[in-house]
Amino acid sequence: MGFLKKLVNWSRLKSPWILHFNTGACNACDIEIIAALTPRYDLERFGVQLKGTPRHVDILVCSGPITRQTADRVIRIYEQMPEPKLVVAIGSCATSGGIFDGCYNVEHGIDSVIPVAAYIPGCPASPKAIIDGIVKLLKSMEEKEKSS
Amino acid sequence: MLKALFNILIFPGFLFLIIFGLAAEFYDRKIYARFQNRVGPPWFQPFADFVKLVAKENIIPEQADAYVFKLVPVFALTSVVTAFFYIPLWKTGALYSFNGDMIVVLYLLTIPTVALFLAGWYSCSVYSTLGAMRSLTQLFAYEIPLLTSILASALLANTWSLSKITVFYSLHPGLWAFNLLGFIISVVTLMGKLEKGPFDIPEAETEIVAGSLTEYSGKLLALFRLTIDIEMIVGASLLAAVFLPFGLTLHPAIGFILFLLKVLLIVSIISLFRTVLARLRIDQMVNFCWKYIAPLAFLQVLINLIVKWTLVR
Repeated sequence: MGFLKKLVNWSRLKSPWILHFNTGACNACDIEIIAALTPRYDLERFGVQLKGTPRHVDILVCSGPITRQTADRVIRIYEQMPEPKLVVAIGSCATSGGIFDGCYNVEHGIDSVIPVAAYIPGCPASPKAIIDGIVKLLKSMEEKEKSS
Repeated sequence: MLKALFNILIFPGFLFLIIFGLAAEFYDRKIYARFQNRVGPPWFQPFADFVKLVAKENIIPEQADAYVFKLVPVFALTSVVTAFFYIPLWKTGALYSFNGDMIVVLYLLTIPTVALFLAGWYSCSVYSTLGAMRSLTQLFAYEIPLLTSILASALLANTWSLSKITVFYSLHPGLWAFNLLGFIISVVTLMGKLEKGPFDIPEAETEIVAGSLTEYSGKLLALFRLTIDIEMIVGASLLAAVFLPFGLTLHPAIGFILFLLKVLLIVSIISLFRTVLARLRIDQMVNFCWKYIAPLAFLQVLINLIVKWTLVR
């Protein structure tokens, strides 16, 4: 049992598939996320693949503050993902609401509706910061599993 | 009995196919990445993906037909593994063979596509239904040229058994060169069958999310991905047996290495075209197959008939 559990944990760290969802960003963070997935930065080195459907993915990558329109949708997408699942908030707006915080149509950051595992600040967060954030998230998961 | 079980489960059956299929997926993805000037995934990537998917939660949509939804990937995987036993690999003659096994192999290789259709249809989601319809439309475009080009090779050998085809081409070395056109046609149609390269219309992720597999997750998705990997191996070894039948009478070890090289060559061709060509629309794909590929396949039949009447007699 111990070996199987180790194998499963290892495979989860080595193959994080992501889904990108814009929760109301100004598109700057989205462009940087797309840039991180291009051959220039090559996220497939870490096993990261961009998928189209929430059923296939492990990590939901959100950019932008939660607007009242997207709040229901992001919860629905989160619930469509199979366990175990993680959420990464990319950009200042996604982490806290950013400059949009307090607007009549905006709730706060992503964590006001769904649990978030990693915050990557920046306006916009650069591709290097995004890659660094995801690798750090995977490393912290690895350490957590080792200690437990 | 024990030997048959060993053949089915371990070598050259299930376990060998899983390992070789995952290795071929890695090879495909790695050279795809190198063509794009990237580093590419590490060697264990397909294995890690597989284990992760198997360990994930299995979601079955409320509206889907749970029975068909769960049964279909197993059905697809079984049929491709079964097809492998009738294909001559590194010697003349397959593990099991009978007269007409060529048709059986081609039909068994059609089942994954039908399974994809059923999977998409019974998922009851808009995207998966669209993907299902597209994969079935595509089936009608590529299946006839593939069957015709393989049939042309069989006509020359005057048999419908794959094992006897390899025996014939080993006895008449050089005759395989007449099938070169058929080889090109069948590689193109194999790309359609595997839904790769310019023919990935049924799973076009920029249009219809993931096609038939949109609602699949966890173990069932892992089975489907494994099926597509193994189908690539089985399809490539079918083409290798029919169109590249040399080195089959040599020592088994050399023959085995040659077999691996032949399969990897076909996988390389598929990856190359996957890199350089953009996705077609479904109507362009059907037009292309019926206007150009199917007539060329019939030309191959004609060539082989002429060769048969003049040279082989």
